[in-house]
Amino acid sequence: MTDCGCDKAKQDLEEYLHNELLADEAADIREHRETCPSCGGEHKVALVLIDAVQRACRETAPEELRVQVLARIREIQLHA
Amino acid sequence: MATALLERPIDGANPLSEPVIDWAAMSDDLDSPSDAVDLAEAQPVLPFEEQTLPFMDQLYAAALRMTRNPSDAQDLVQETFVKAFAAWSQFKQGTNLKAWLYRILTNTFINSYRKKQREPFQSPIEDLEDWQLGGAESTTSRSTRSAEAEAIDHLPDSAVKNALQSIPEDFRMAVYFADVEGFSYQEIADIMKTPIGTVMSRLHRGRRMLRDLLADYASDRGIATSPARSTK
Repeated sequence: MTDCGCDKAKQDLEEYLHNELLADEAADIREHRETCPSCGGEHKVALVLIDAVQRACRETAPEELRVQVLARIREIQLHA
Repeated sequence: MATALLERPIDGANPLSEPVIDWAAMSDDLDSPSDAVDLAEAQPVLPFEEQTLPFMDQLYAAALRMTRNPSDAQDLVQETFVKAFAAWSQFKQGTNLKAWLYRILTNTFINSYRKKQREPFQSPIEDLEDWQLGGAESTTSRSTRSAEAEAIDHLPDSAVKNALQSIPEDFRMAVYFADVEGFSYQEIADIMKTPIGTVMSRLHRGRRMLRDLLADYASDRGIATSPARSTK
């Protein structure tokens, strides 16, 4: 993890994953990852983590909430 | 057969049908110039409910992560829709409605619920120091990365939720906005009213904390330490 590009790759991984890097920078990281098992592993863990968070956070609003919201809006409309 | 039956009453010459035809012809003429304008500008504006209600599940999910309990989350979402409705004329059609709604949600949460909750870890970033921030190498050696990925992949949703709940709110929401909602850093900065650098820092640290907590959870159950015995 010295000057082989790992520091930069690891530092920018988050930005890479969220498409916040310029095309050139992203290409550099992609290239580095192919040849570096450590950074490849980091990337994998990061992807799995994002996936796990997305899965865990899926929710459906209770039906009563929908009803309450519509009722509140109607009420405001009536008094407008 | 069905069409024949349907046509009969119309053929029965209801005089009321004639003005309808006239109206249609007139509005056709009136519409042609404005049609061109509509196409150039935007789709016809849908009413508030039709535009905003599809976001309810997402807003509720975010509210749950913020308030950490279903009853407060429902109140928060309701309040958000009421405020959004009141401010609807200020929403610029064609701009990012989802981000707009999330901004209202976040503001409402900060102004009413955060005060109420008084979370003990409501400390500013500076106070947190770099606990567990020693970089990726500190917790995970190269050889165990794939085991870590495997372990995270098999964690129950409840473990991930609990881990999220236990990291500080600003970090939690940065992770949520980026990873679940896919907002850009700039959008998150707008929603949380912080500079982009702060968003990045919260995201990095939040992810790090989450990962460490999940690694602990997994190793407590012997998941990460025995990758060979993973349950497929």
